[in-house]
Amino acid sequence: MKRKLLSVLLTASMAAALLAGCGGADETPAADSQANAAEEAAEPTMDDVAEPGEEAPAADGEAVTLKWAIWDKDATPYWNALKDAYEAANPNVTIEMTDLGSTDYMTVLATELSGSGSDFDVVTIKDVPGYATLVSKNTLEPLDSYISEAGIDLAQYGGVDKQVTVDGSLYELPFRNDFWVVFYNKDIFDAAGVDYPTNDMTFEEYDALAREVADPAFGAQVYGTHYHTWRSAVQLFGVLDGQHSILDGEYDFFKPYYEMVLGEEDDQICRNYADLSAEGLHYSAAFSGGDVAMMNMGSWYISTLISSLQSGEYDSSLCGNWGMVKYPHAEGVEAGSTLGTITGLAVTSVSDQKDAAFDFVEWVSGEEGAKVMAGTGNFPALMNDEVASIISGLEGFPADDASKEALSVSNLYLEVPYAENVSAINDILDTYHKSIMNREVSIDEGIASMNEEVGKVLGQ
Amino acid sequence: MKEKRKTTNAGNGQKTAAGKKGGLSRQAKRDLVAYSFIAPNFIGFAVFTLVPIIFAFALAFMDWDGSNAIRFVGLANFIKLPQDTFFKAAFKNTIIYVIGTVPLTMIASLALAIVLNQKIKARGFFRTVAFFPYVASLVAITAVWGMIFHPSKGPVNYLLLTVFGVPQNELPKWFSGSLVLFTLILFSVWKYMGYYMVIYLAGLQGISAELYEAGSLDGANTWQKFKYITWPQLRSTTFFVVVMLTINCFKVYDIAVMLAGGGDGKLSTSATVLVYYIYQNAFNYWDLGYSSAIAMVLFVLVLIITLIQFRYEKKLES
Amino acid sequence: MSAEKEKKLRSKRRNAVIGKVCIYAILLLITAAMVVPFLWMLSASIKSNREVFLMDPFEWIPKVPKWDNYIKIWTKIPLLKFVQNTVFLTIVVTCLQLLTSSFAAYSFAKLEFKHKNALFLAYIATIAMPWQVYMVPQFIMMRAMGLNDKLLAMICLQAFSAFGVFMMKQFYDGIPIDLCEAARIDGMSEYGIYAKIMLPLSKPALSTLTIFTFVNTWNDYLGPLIYLKTETKKTIQLGLKMFIGQYSAEYGLIMAGSVLSLIPVIIVFLCLQKYFVEGVASTGLKG
Repeated sequence: MKRKLLSVLLTASMAAALLAGCGGADETPAADSQANAAEEAAEPTMDDVAEPGEEAPAADGEAVTLKWAIWDKDATPYWNALKDAYEAANPNVTIEMTDLGSTDYMTVLATELSGSGSDFDVVTIKDVPGYATLVSKNTLEPLDSYISEAGIDLAQYGGVDKQVTVDGSLYELPFRNDFWVVFYNKDIFDAAGVDYPTNDMTFEEYDALAREVADPAFGAQVYGTHYHTWRSAVQLFGVLDGQHSILDGEYDFFKPYYEMVLGEEDDQICRNYADLSAEGLHYSAAFSGGDVAMMNMGSWYISTLISSLQSGEYDSSLCGNWGMVKYPHAEGVEAGSTLGTITGLAVTSVSDQKDAAFDFVEWVSGEEGAKVMAGTGNFPALMNDEVASIISGLEGFPADDASKEALSVSNLYLEVPYAENVSAINDILDTYHKSIMNREVSIDEGIASMNEEVGKVLGQ
Repeated sequence: MKEKRKTTNAGNGQKTAAGKKGGLSRQAKRDLVAYSFIAPNFIGFAVFTLVPIIFAFALAFMDWDGSNAIRFVGLANFIKLPQDTFFKAAFKNTIIYVIGTVPLTMIASLALAIVLNQKIKARGFFRTVAFFPYVASLVAITAVWGMIFHPSKGPVNYLLLTVFGVPQNELPKWFSGSLVLFTLILFSVWKYMGYYMVIYLAGLQGISAELYEAGSLDGANTWQKFKYITWPQLRSTTFFVVVMLTINCFKVYDIAVMLAGGGDGKLSTSATVLVYYIYQNAFNYWDLGYSSAIAMVLFVLVLIITLIQFRYEKKLES
Repeated sequence: MSAEKEKKLRSKRRNAVIGKVCIYAILLLITAAMVVPFLWMLSASIKSNREVFLMDPFEWIPKVPKWDNYIKIWTKIPLLKFVQNTVFLTIVVTCLQLLTSSFAAYSFAKLEFKHKNALFLAYIATIAMPWQVYMVPQFIMMRAMGLNDKLLAMICLQAFSAFGVFMMKQFYDGIPIDLCEAARIDGMSEYGIYAKIMLPLSKPALSTLTIFTFVNTWNDYLGPLIYLKTETKKTIQLGLKMFIGQYSAEYGLIMAGSVLSLIPVIIVFLCLQKYFVEGVASTGLKG
């Protein structure tokens, strides 16, 4: 028996050696064709390199094709808008988009980029944990030299760039910057005879309002508020005072907010987490169902609401009369502090046309890109009054002044700032958020576990 | 060894081409024919299964993120395991799941097979129906379960509320907390009992009717017939069923993610399983070495349990 | 006949009747548990979102059935593309699996050659090795071969299972060797024996393997999840899951998609099931 086993193992390892050879051979043609493609693509780049600084390469420049990784092409209006506008300004450039889907976008992207088969030039960075992964895998190009060469003033991003700087280097430029607001359904408030929420609410006032407007009648239940299953929707109320961050390793500051939300659940002021999780209810389905009075969500939902109402996808008798206000704030903290999420563009380190790629990144994250973004109802990272007025002037944007005013943000804290271990920390906080919300553990136990587990990660 | 054989084969091939009359021994010729039968499958099998398996063993002792340089770290990955809360939770849940699912599925499928081996009307129909859950796709069927067991709207809890009078705030939350593993087990038994029933049916048909006749003559009742004829005769079938069930149960991943994962497909400590944690470490954290180390734990678990069962089977045999 | 004997017989008959009734009752209960989820699926697939969870009154068929759920689902997601991909994958994998496994199994069962035992042991050993143990290195390797995000990767992954070879070998072992010997004496080549004698005999085993392979490939989730990234390459399971993620509240549509995804497997199963138990019995799967 032993001898048999030995011989199997030997055979197997020999076979492995043999086949590894085969594998290598298999790999070569693919690599070759890729190299060819790269060579072809590399040629025009030389021209670009020859004329740095000049904004748009001349129309007679040789054709450049940039491959760009994005998600949800059909559901997101700005990809095509950005591509068209950039191509119009740079006739020699063709932008080729690859849709990797939004569900596991960053995971998929990491897989693509860490393989030898990737040929992306520009990739969209959806979240910071994924960004941290890509940076640690050396798959992104540091942009510092390009930025200083192009003379970009990072101050225009209002400081968010500092929250994604890795060891002094920046690997992405933000082009979209979403912040959280409270959406509300005016019809529900009218029907209940309750005043609309305002731009200056404390959490106590917000909680009281939710309880006032809610109607737990069976069959025609109206929820005062709604929290999506993301941990950001609950935990991050705690970072708005500017004293705490999710990278702290100490999370006792979450406690009052968990108490508030779980209390609301107990009194059926909001849908309970176990239900939401069981059915995987999407926040848009929750709000557009017409039985949710308020919902805290990112500003990206504005464009979805507008376009879905226009297309008839949402029933306008249920949620057509909506408005928005600034995030509530803790007692003694200035109103208008909120959470932000940036979406950025990065240049891959394997790209053979980095200059052309950076030109695109610079354009999209710059003023022109910002206007295109605003035109589609999305918030560019480069926010100014002009951009804000483009958005509030969109057809379908609520007409009241409070909604317009809600667009001005005083302090923006990223949901997830960069840290080396942010991916692991993020998952730990996610897990115990789930446990607390599912009531598998008490709030104190959950927070204690967060402290302990994150402590382990930080201690490494 | 393999290499040597390959070259002799190649040599043989040339000889055949050179002179058909002699040279090649009969045995060599036969070997060649035999290998030609095996080759199409074996090459695929070796490249896509054997090589990765060896790679997996090696990787467990490395530190690698798939892009930067690979580094040998000895046992470091394994040393990390006992301190990892999530690994421990995954380990515990997987074991509980296996311990719950294997015997239940076995008993259910054996009982069903015995019933469906009787001469009853519409036997074919019942057999087909019992097999349905097995062929049905997991995504579709978990979506249905999610609705039927919905904590506040589903028909199951509705029945509990209206017929059995369970108070509304005490209705079970089937997909979270301590109940979730129970739901996973229940679902698995439901889904897989039809499959193992077919295997038991095949086993039952191999038992000769004479044995039962002899039993009847001795005045054995149904239970005695089962105990002294069916059960011993089915021993090797049961062995096969239990081994396959154990292996399959350790692999649990999609059932957990689909039933307990909620919208984002993430599992909390109450429902996480080993394969989920392997996947997380590999494709989310890109800690391929650590992921492989967890995979090795999974493998060793399966191996140990299979070996114990083999031992037990051998003992019974002698 | 004495009265006592008659009494005994009658009580025996009564017991038998009671037994039968019990068996049917149990069977009906189990059948209900098996079928109700499917009926629920069918029923929900023609309901509106509001009707799905309406318990009082509960209707299996709503007053106004929403048949257009079955039309809408095709436009909400590229379902046709998903179906095409899955059909393509399933057919190729099943054919390759049947062909290569029965080929190799014939050799293992009926021919004598060097290293036979060692090679077969390699197959056996991997059956007990869950795929999940080596899925990560396998993926890394496939990626290095440039197979990431290609349907070909899924084919390579699923077409050469050890299980198929093992199963077919068990079946061929049961076919008397005399048949082969006779043919050999008649001067038939091994390929001829395989094609003309063994294959026609192995219908039950091939049917069983077809069902297993078809069901596994059609319903596989984790494999495609790891390998297939672009939307146009996704399989129906991934597509359905994606749809559920995006339109979580569209119960009617989700159920319509689920029903559609079940149809092909059920057809294949119903067509082949008459060989099924026989196949399992003769392939030694029972142990």
